[in-house]
Amino acid sequence: MIGWLDAPRGWLDSFGEIARFGARVAGLVYSGRVFGFFGESLRQAGILILGSALVIWVFVFILGLQCGILGAYLFRAQGAPGYAGLFSAWCDLREALPYAFGYILSAKVGTGIVAELGAMRISDEIDALEVMGIEPVTFLAATRLLAAWIAFPFIYLVGIAVMYSASWLAVVEQVGDVSSGGYLLIFWMFQNPPDLIYSLVKGMAMATVIVLVGCYYGYTARGGPVGVGAATAQSMVVNIILVHIVGMLGTVVFWGANPRAPIGG
Amino acid sequence: MAQQVLSRVLLPAKSSFEQVGSMMLLTAQTIVAAIRPPYPYGEELVGQFLFALKLCWFPLLVSTFVLCFGAPGLQAANALSLFGAMDRLGGFFVLAAIRQIGPIVTAVVVAGVAGTAITADLGARKIREELDALQVLGVDPVKNLVVPRFLALMLITGLLDAYALVFGLAGGILVELIYQQPLGGFFATLSSNASIADLWGSVVMCTLFGAIIAIVCCYKGMTATGGAAGVGRAVNQAVVISFLGVFAFLYVFTAVLLATNPELQAIR
Repeated sequence: MIGWLDAPRGWLDSFGEIARFGARVAGLVYSGRVFGFFGESLRQAGILILGSALVIWVFVFILGLQCGILGAYLFRAQGAPGYAGLFSAWCDLREALPYAFGYILSAKVGTGIVAELGAMRISDEIDALEVMGIEPVTFLAATRLLAAWIAFPFIYLVGIAVMYSASWLAVVEQVGDVSSGGYLLIFWMFQNPPDLIYSLVKGMAMATVIVLVGCYYGYTARGGPVGVGAATAQSMVVNIILVHIVGMLGTVVFWGANPRAPIGG
Repeated sequence: MAQQVLSRVLLPAKSSFEQVGSMMLLTAQTIVAAIRPPYPYGEELVGQFLFALKLCWFPLLVSTFVLCFGAPGLQAANALSLFGAMDRLGGFFVLAAIRQIGPIVTAVVVAGVAGTAITADLGARKIREELDALQVLGVDPVKNLVVPRFLALMLITGLLDAYALVFGLAGGILVELIYQQPLGGFFATLSSNASIADLWGSVVMCTLFGAIIAIVCCYKGMTATGGAAGVGRAVNQAVVISFLGVFAFLYVFTAVLLATNPELQAIR
């Protein structure tokens, strides 16, 4: 019985460590120290866009189709197929997109950072940076956080467009119970610009957490190639839990007591 | 110029097709090796099953509860409370929690937690040339390493799905309690809308998710190259490919299930 509880206790321990490390990295970005390496930040942002954007959009597209068919079949069953737009507007913007973004980011970007920094750590490159007088946390972790803040809002916004078109395809072209105009009328009626901002905030909070967790596990990797693999796997566990918790908190804060729907008074 | 562009686009496309092909071959080899006697993998199968269970239970518990509380729970309760129909949340949870979120979260947790651990483990063995040593000793790595992981992940993903459904519904119950509703209505609409096709659809889908995850993660682990960075990169690619594979399969499965089982669409 004790053995089964060891793992969660270890995660709680490392959660505190991650929070401390994350606060330090965020402090480095806010205090402007990271702008000493602004070129490196831009290079990292470029890597994120070239390496991850396409994967994110493909993933988001698949989930958009999923939201579309679910909404179409749900409202067909209610006898109101025209209202499929209600489900896909809420599912796309409020829930599925932030979660999809969080999942694929922790898979692609989070573990990628751990693999990269972990390899640097065990081949002693991070110590070499320190010897050269470059502060490694600023150069490696803070630049990546800044790069994420530069690149991901735009990737996220394009992801919204990708997801909307996927839902439109699924509802109007695949299931076909409702005309394009009828679908879009309800679809746009049930969302407004603040919803978009809230959704973006939710997604960016997940992105920040994921990058910080990735940097922490990469930066503290030890134990050779096996250790890097284990750290990569471990970062994924922590990321999955944190993504869900951030998503739930976002929902409670932004939509918990306020449906933001054009129904009733 | 044109050649440069072509080589940038076509070479990655070619290599990804080759990888998909190799994964298919590995699937076929694994199934053949699993069926054909002798069966030396029993002990490893139990070990892997317990290993995955030990890693997954806590993330799965937190993730399903929290996701079902937030996404279908609070958002649907928003809309339903406007109509004064909070008891209908149970019916919605059949669609949201049983048909979708249970399998999705189970797959994400198994791929992210157990799948990455499998890739890291096999990748480390590949880098230390233990897999080659096994082959020299006349031990078939597919039969002794891949088959037990394949069967264990299929089994555990299917079984964890039931567990995910329980905690997902607990999230819905919490929403009902927050809105100060009696729980009778929730359970009444839940049980009148749930059909046996929903449940077997959910569990069968999860079992197949487990198969996809196991093959992708074993393949990436067994083909890891390039030292420390290589194992990390293998884990990274394994989890991305498993997610894409699982969600593409989810879409196809849901579309087929809903289109071929009209009784699932009736609201009772």
